[in-house]
Amino acid sequence: MKMIIGGAFQGKMAYAKASYPDILWIDGRKCSFAALETCAGVYHFQEYIRRMLKEGKEAQLLALVERLPQVNAGIVIISEEVGYGLVPVDSFERKFREQAGRICTRLAACCDRVDRVICGIGTVIKAEACNTLAKEGNNAHED
Amino acid sequence: MFYLITGGSGSGKSEYAEEVICKLWEQENSGKLFYIATMVPEGAETGAKIERHRQMRDGKGFQTLECYTDLAGAAAKITEDNPESSVLLECISNLAANEMYREEGAGPAAAEKIMTGIKVLQKGCLHVVVVTNEVCSEGPANTAEMRHYKEVLGRLNGRMGETADRMIEVVYGIPVEVKG
Repeated sequence: MKMIIGGAFQGKMAYAKASYPDILWIDGRKCSFAALETCAGVYHFQEYIRRMLKEGKEAQLLALVERLPQVNAGIVIISEEVGYGLVPVDSFERKFREQAGRICTRLAACCDRVDRVICGIGTVIKAEACNTLAKEGNNAHED
Repeated sequence: MFYLITGGSGSGKSEYAEEVICKLWEQENSGKLFYIATMVPEGAETGAKIERHRQMRDGKGFQTLECYTDLAGAAAKITEDNPESSVLLECISNLAANEMYREEGAGPAAAEKIMTGIKVLQKGCLHVVVVTNEVCSEGPANTAEMRHYKEVLGRLNGRMGETADRMIEVVYGIPVEVKG
């Protein structure tokens, strides 16, 4: 599993296409639950999280996150980093950014590679064997 | 050692900070391990957060000290009776808000008050790990008050960063070394 993260409009998609030129990407803003389990890559993953939370499907979302490393270990996830501002006044926004953080933290633990893109330039912040999750069980995401 | 640990919301910085201070403390094999808690238990959401953190710390050997304002006072309590302590302070963003907005807080002197407390800890403890927050990179147009808070916290982070032996940004659970 791999992730490409970074702020909005930092060139994540272009970087992803250059890094993984041969894969098909699905859009987190509209893709289905099942599609995520089989796709090669997904972009706007944070919007998938937002959508599921909006629709009240938090439990399914968290279950998918737990399953994803097993059922689609090759997936490349592009997600916008959120949570670098003041705590939002709106309670849904607070929940979204907290869950976006926790979910991406959980997924990043299973990634053998995580790239962070700033100003179009990617830095590999994690590159290692994919075994953290299997070893540590589920204590990384108690909420 | 003085560690400054920062990161966005839900990034796993608390877990990482706990790991760091526990490792430092275990290596020393002396002194006590303290956790300075700064979140005021107001409302259900905050209560749940505090409970989650309590469970995370449970069984790791921490003595918890509540400190909503006056860090220097809490720091002195620790350092006077317990030399060679290892302390985890979490977090500066709460402490700054408390000092700035609570009645018993320092108001305009918030930053100075917090830095005084940090210095007491740095001087009297073996190891200090401070958790802070990245709040300045995102968000819609701010009110003057929001801007002011960002400025206070941003500058505090800068001052702590200056004296830090190591500074780490935790990105989705991944420690990214900024200084050290």
